[in-house]
Amino acid sequence: MTVEEKDRAAAIFKPETGRIVAARMLTETEKFFRVVLDHGGPLGHKPGQFVEVSIFGIGEAPISICSSPTQEDSFEMCVRNVGSVTNAMHQMGAGAEIGLRGPYGNGFDMEAMKGRDVLFVAGGLGMAPARGVIKYVLDKRHDFNIVTILYGAKNPSELLFKEDLEEWQARPDCDFHVTVDRPDDSWKGNTGVITTLFRNISNIDARNAWAVVVGPPVMYKYVILEALSIGIPESRILCSLERRMKCGVGKCGHCQISNVYVCKEGPVFTYSQIKRLREGI
Amino acid sequence: MLPKIIERDDLRAFVEALLADNVVVAPIRKGEKYVFSEVETFDEIALDYNISLLSPKKFFYPQIETVLKFKIGDRPESQAITEASPVIIFGIHPCDIAATWLLDEVFKEDPADPNYLEKRKKAVLIGLNCAQPCDEFSFCRDMGSYNVEEGFDLMLTDLGEKYFVEIGSKLGEEILVEGAHFRDATSGDLKDRQAYQEKKETNFVKRIPYDTKFLPEILEESYDSLVWDAIAKRCFSCGSCNIVCPTCYCFNVTDEVAASAAEGERKRVWDSCQLAEFTEVAGGEVFREERSSRLRHRFFRKGKWLLERYGKLGCVGCGRCDRNCLVKINSVEVYTQLAGEPVQ
Amino acid sequence: MKPKVAFFSFTSCEGCQLMFLNLEDELLDLLGLVEIVNFREAMKEVLADEYDIAFVEGSITTHSDIEEVEDIRKRTKILIAFGACATIGGINAIKNFQPLDDVRKYVYDRDWDKIDTVPTMSVDQVVDVDCYIHGCPVDKKEILDVVTSVILGKTPRVPDYPVCVECKLAENVCVFDKGLVCLGPVTRAGCSAICPTFGNKCLGCRGIISDPNVNAEKDLLAERGLSIDDILKEFRMFDGLSEVSK
Repeated sequence: MTVEEKDRAAAIFKPETGRIVAARMLTETEKFFRVVLDHGGPLGHKPGQFVEVSIFGIGEAPISICSSPTQEDSFEMCVRNVGSVTNAMHQMGAGAEIGLRGPYGNGFDMEAMKGRDVLFVAGGLGMAPARGVIKYVLDKRHDFNIVTILYGAKNPSELLFKEDLEEWQARPDCDFHVTVDRPDDSWKGNTGVITTLFRNISNIDARNAWAVVVGPPVMYKYVILEALSIGIPESRILCSLERRMKCGVGKCGHCQISNVYVCKEGPVFTYSQIKRLREGI
Repeated sequence: MLPKIIERDDLRAFVEALLADNVVVAPIRKGEKYVFSEVETFDEIALDYNISLLSPKKFFYPQIETVLKFKIGDRPESQAITEASPVIIFGIHPCDIAATWLLDEVFKEDPADPNYLEKRKKAVLIGLNCAQPCDEFSFCRDMGSYNVEEGFDLMLTDLGEKYFVEIGSKLGEEILVEGAHFRDATSGDLKDRQAYQEKKETNFVKRIPYDTKFLPEILEESYDSLVWDAIAKRCFSCGSCNIVCPTCYCFNVTDEVAASAAEGERKRVWDSCQLAEFTEVAGGEVFREERSSRLRHRFFRKGKWLLERYGKLGCVGCGRCDRNCLVKINSVEVYTQLAGEPVQ
Repeated sequence: MKPKVAFFSFTSCEGCQLMFLNLEDELLDLLGLVEIVNFREAMKEVLADEYDIAFVEGSITTHSDIEEVEDIRKRTKILIAFGACATIGGINAIKNFQPLDDVRKYVYDRDWDKIDTVPTMSVDQVVDVDCYIHGCPVDKKEILDVVTSVILGKTPRVPDYPVCVECKLAENVCVFDKGLVCLGPVTRAGCSAICPTFGNKCLGCRGIISDPNVNAEKDLLAERGLSIDDILKEFRMFDGLSEVSK
């Protein structure tokens, strides 16, 4: 154990500090943050993990990491203004200091996906955790086979990471499709719920493919149904679940579903695990 | 380590020796009930107490505990608080000793929780055996916690004119030396202890109509049972069952800010899975909205999920949940009903 | 600039304002955070008529109360309903269960018809309320929590679970076990169960939680020998405006 690891083990509630080096609004309610840890090292996360952001006096909130570990000097978060901690973050800009614990959770098993087709299905704010995995896959593009990205939002103004979307659209080595439920006058693209994008998927070897599904709770059932119906096995459909997490280390009990803690054994579960959890989706 | 004997009249001197240079907590009277509280004299101790309102877990896992002190501002700073001071818990009953096994597993699991473990390490457990169940709410025989072989430093069994003293740890042995009132148990003492045990075995009866090793399967079969809805009709979701439980360990974390708004403390407070807000996320979604699903969660944790996770049942059968339930939700009845058996 | 704070009082005993002044150890710190510009109970001058934070105590019981609180609302950024009379109507709502004219005659005798009155309302029945400090009287710790929360931009935490939670944390002997009845199982916590801790029953002064099991509470009180009328009396003491009192 390094000294740092020992410190971490000595007090599970002790946050380290990090500095916001870039912050900008992505939509009316989502703000993007890039953070550098004060100790100077990388966060050392896996795609799909989260951190507990600490604003002293206000509290902590679990926030998923939206950058890839291939970006080592900093990490990124996309934060929706929905509670006291996230509201406080929205008042912060570059230069502000925040507390951080983590990374927590299992994250996605990127090794297992190597050499396979990967299908991403992201709905709404689900693009935040999904982006970290997508970026990882695209940064190590040779390690993976066909990459397909499906993204749905309620309306065009809620689409996150527009620059990334443009890049993915332009890349010949990834198949990107986006849809909105409620288009505005300027929208020229697909319209409809995210499951309507499944007909655009071409050429993937479903039996050997992995699906990465992240979105609001209502989305899972419908998307999993589509993924199963194109032939992706239950054990290779990965979902990231949202739950209340106060401690992040499998003690406080808030995120428990059956005999697992989402903060520890999750938030990433295969559909074969989720169906046994019963309250999962 | 071989057992010892202390004469009844010497117990006072032993406890007074402990009181002289230790913080000692023990059961004392509170109205018609009992609580574990710091004592200054031997006479305060209610040796014949049946059960305390809260279990002594509160000494290593306090109801409200500061885990962090922080400074608010442009340069936020924080300091973890994990200090613990030594305490002797005198008179803890077998069920409450059994409950610490589970808590130990939970808080030891990686990453270990130093706030709990520091306090636990510094707590000396002097057990007091029970000759009969507390009352009609006890089902410790079913849950296998009415006798404990380990988990204590010393265990006293009241044999009338003398106490039989089992030594559970090196620490327990050291404490005995401090008292210097103990002698080795003779074969006659062992016989008396055996007679006590035989009597005890008849005093404690099973109340659930099946072996609790089948509990996980019976629960598994009952996930969609209407029993949950039936008991939910009268449940207040008041959380009392959780708060008084010796094995419940869920907590909330909140920040308290000083009047200067410049500094504060982060606290963890016991929480209850029966409250709707327990599963509420920032967007307002509540994952167990129905009372019935919250009740089911509690029973599944106790009888199945914690067992699967930690190898220990989440229930020791102390009956505190049922004793404190204003609407008479009763674990034995629920477990009986789930198995399709008539409730007595 | 420090936020400007004002105190206003409608129908009440003004005891909650006293609780604020009783924050002896913290008052100086608080005054470092805010500027009090209007506080009849504590100062003569009125220093401003626009407020960042207004503490509104008391229930609304006259037409002029309605106009006044509407006017305060217009001049206030964050309006805090302060104490049971303001948050839930409190004791003042007892009159709502009697004919209003009878009440006026009883209280004002000969000149009863010259005194205006309307059925008791909580502040949020008249204007939007941003924040609640419940209780009769309010709890000092909660005042501190709300003031510091507002300063830090945090939504203050108002529990929505029963008093039983805090009563058990305090390791009290249950009021029902002492042969008394108690509204704790359906009443909003946040008071650290102060009444049961000091040997009394919970009277429901912090209001009913949003998902109470009212039938279970009524059954429980009936089991202890209370008639329907007795049960309603229990609820109507503080919670006359709530559904459970109907």
